[in-house]
Amino acid sequence: MRSLRTILLVGLAGVLVLALAACGASKTSSSSSGAGASSAVAAGIQTPATESLTGGKKGGTLTVLNHEDFEHIDPGQSYFSIDYEAVYATQRPLYSYKPNTFSEVTPDMAESAPQITDGGKLVTVKIRHGVHFSPPVNREVTSADVAYAIERAANSNVANPYYMGYFSAVEGMPKASGGPIPGITTPDKYTIEFHLTEPAGEIVANALVLPMSAAVPPEYAKKYDAEKPSEYGNHQVATGPYMFKADSSGKVLGTGYQPGKSATLVRNPNWDASTDHRPAYLDQIEVKIGGDTEVIGRQVLEGSHIVQDDTVAQPIVKLAYEKYRDQLLISPGSGDHYMAVNNSYGPFTDVNLRKAFWAALDREAMNKARGGSLVTNVMTHFLYPGMPGFEKAGGLAGPKVDYNEHPRGDMAVAEKYMKLAGYPSGKYTGGKTIQVVGSTGNPNAQNAEIANQTLKNMGFKTKFNLVDQSVMYSKYCGVVSEKIDVCPNVGWISDFGDGQAVLDVPFNGKLIVKNGTNANWGLVDHPKINAAMAAAEKLVGAGAREDAWAKIDEELVAEAVAIPYDWDKQAAIRAKDVLGVGDQWNIGSWDFNYTSLK
Amino acid sequence: MTRYIIRRLLWGVALLIIVSALTFVMFRILPTGDPAKLRAGRLQNPKIIAEIRNNLGLDKPLLTQFWLYMKGIFLHFDLGFSYYSNAPVKELISTRLPATLSLVFGGAVVWLTAGLAVGIVSARRARSRLDRVSMGGALVLVSAPEYWLGLILLYVFAADIGQVRIFPGAGSYVGLTGAPVKWLTAMILPWLVVAAGTAAVYARLIRGSLIETMSEDYIRTARAKGLSERRVVLRHGVRAAINPVLTILGLDIAALLGSSVLVETVFDIPGIGRLNFDAINHSDFPIVQGTVLLAALFVVVANILVDIAYAYLDPRVRYS
Repeated sequence: MRSLRTILLVGLAGVLVLALAACGASKTSSSSSGAGASSAVAAGIQTPATESLTGGKKGGTLTVLNHEDFEHIDPGQSYFSIDYEAVYATQRPLYSYKPNTFSEVTPDMAESAPQITDGGKLVTVKIRHGVHFSPPVNREVTSADVAYAIERAANSNVANPYYMGYFSAVEGMPKASGGPIPGITTPDKYTIEFHLTEPAGEIVANALVLPMSAAVPPEYAKKYDAEKPSEYGNHQVATGPYMFKADSSGKVLGTGYQPGKSATLVRNPNWDASTDHRPAYLDQIEVKIGGDTEVIGRQVLEGSHIVQDDTVAQPIVKLAYEKYRDQLLISPGSGDHYMAVNNSYGPFTDVNLRKAFWAALDREAMNKARGGSLVTNVMTHFLYPGMPGFEKAGGLAGPKVDYNEHPRGDMAVAEKYMKLAGYPSGKYTGGKTIQVVGSTGNPNAQNAEIANQTLKNMGFKTKFNLVDQSVMYSKYCGVVSEKIDVCPNVGWISDFGDGQAVLDVPFNGKLIVKNGTNANWGLVDHPKINAAMAAAEKLVGAGAREDAWAKIDEELVAEAVAIPYDWDKQAAIRAKDVLGVGDQWNIGSWDFNYTSLK
Repeated sequence: MTRYIIRRLLWGVALLIIVSALTFVMFRILPTGDPAKLRAGRLQNPKIIAEIRNNLGLDKPLLTQFWLYMKGIFLHFDLGFSYYSNAPVKELISTRLPATLSLVFGGAVVWLTAGLAVGIVSARRARSRLDRVSMGGALVLVSAPEYWLGLILLYVFAADIGQVRIFPGAGSYVGLTGAPVKWLTAMILPWLVVAAGTAAVYARLIRGSLIETMSEDYIRTARAKGLSERRVVLRHGVRAAINPVLTILGLDIAALLGSSVLVETVFDIPGIGRLNFDAINHSDFPIVQGTVLLAALFVVVANILVDIAYAYLDPRVRYS
């Protein structure tokens, strides 16, 4: 049984391409970042920045073919690009992004922009009148519903994965296990306030674009939230233009969603177009889950009224580029991949060894394994294209430091830093065997192999393991006590367009979680950088924040806290008779609210 | 015979408990993901993880967890709740089972029919050109990986992406009760893929067994009595030669019910194999446990049925 399982896993690993977990990327403002994003894509290919949001034809059913299933359809739990496409079509968070922007937030359930007062310690949001829940609830949404939606994030039956990252400054939130939370008040039916213990108003306001701010009716949801785990997702009601098809009691599971098989989104009869920026052209969206990614790719390129909404197989991207270029969308600013090196234990506590590793690594080979320049750029620093501060921190070329200058690797520079680290031969002679834990399935496995070979070329003895990606995070790289030396396959996608959302969690020493799920995989804990981050977190105003986080990025490069190699450009494909609109804020996934049929 | 069946059933139950225990222990010993941490997500704090662990019952001693699980199965036929899909395992399995049953039993009919026909013809014309072509073809089919063969058939015959667009392609599976004709046409290519390798094995098996049987004394006697050659082969020869095939038929069907992931993935058939594969990827233990238990149940039942069938097909076999 064990060997059979191994064979099956290995057999499929070659054909499965996992979509990156987590996070819609977005941002509040940036004048320079858009240029950085567009310059990273070959001319003539559709990007979210070049598409039209108007003029779609109303009606019809769009078929979506996905290899992967949703992770969570409950807005309080969802944290995955595939989830977001369904959740943002069925739910209305307080704020959202139009598809072709990485820079402008649009009030959604909110009526207007958030007011940040009291020195950044009070955030006030006015919500819209006249928005109703779908059947069977049917009533108008009030601020109490938004408050409940955010409070339930702290209920362990819901276990929202990011509320502690962005809402921990809300009074009473860290110790809450559901509502009521003293820091969330609703002075009237259409106003909600967030009272903060520190001046973190900017980050709380930014995080209101995330789906956990979508209203949930407490009188209906509480009985489902009492289940362990919550079953509200299986019985959810909608506020957006679409809803999961449900039976008369509101049950979605088995009707509008069959895990691993299919999902059906139909029009929400209570949605009022006059309250929403979404045109919602389609009548219905049929999602089919499963299947081989290469077969799916061909079905989409040669089919009718179909899109693929998860990661497109590499051969299909190549085929689309060569033969169906007008059906291909490339979305820059779709996150990054880098190598976490242990800054707190073992040989890589020495900054010169980290710089030597950076210099030695052939980042072009790493990216070639990921599909080459069509879908990647060589990563040269930590803020990625499209994020505020990207250009100020060096743009595509990156900072002018010798260990960053040669994307194909430079052993001479590497040896220089090895010598500075106290190894006169230019090779590591410390004797310690270092542990490298990567992820199975190409291209991750290929990247891990390249990293391992580079380390061997530098004189290291390595203990090299490849495990499933979820195991890599939850058993090794995300567990502080494991003291893994090198994790070659970690990556990040920003939750919203602010440098803090890119750099804080992975590189702030104060956010190392010793007994939980740690996402500072390299255990980066440098007092100077921690202090700079603490100061930047409190800043109010897009310009000041952009400057501060760009400077922090420069310091991260100076300390070589990790070894960057890939800025992702996500590919998406559609049938020729689909007027596809991709979401720049969600790694280019197709937006069901704006996509239409020709 | 009845006592024998009861005894086998009791052993079957014991075997299922052992399989459950092994799966349970393996899942916890092997370096799989921590379900509580997986569910909690990237930025979660220890308090929430501890609460999730408590909610899922993962903080209880292993023996207690196992006892509660077994109690759920035997007293309530409750296979637990999926960590990942937020749905009862019983419901997930029951919605996936018809697709896998369609694939496996339809495939079995194809491979048995084709295997028997080719095997008998080859045995009757041993060492002829037809025999050599048949057995050579069988060798090719045995060597062809299911995944590859599935893709080739789709690229050649699928109505959406094929060169000769005859059969419905991937993702066209519908339930038998909803649309029988659509179901039938959608299953033709998957059945061919499932059946190809196994039919080839069966053909070679039947050929060898029938050649041996046809040289037995009782066959000569049958011929001497003046029975037609057709009757000699089918009634006397094949009936005796089929026993080895029957032995592996039950096991093949049972094994395929639990491991049809490759064909299900290529043809996008939402069956048990894919459910199990996804569950392993997501460290969704309740589903893995449920599907493994189901596969073991198939093996046990198939073995009992095969043993019973022996008694009917071969008069020399008697159980006490």
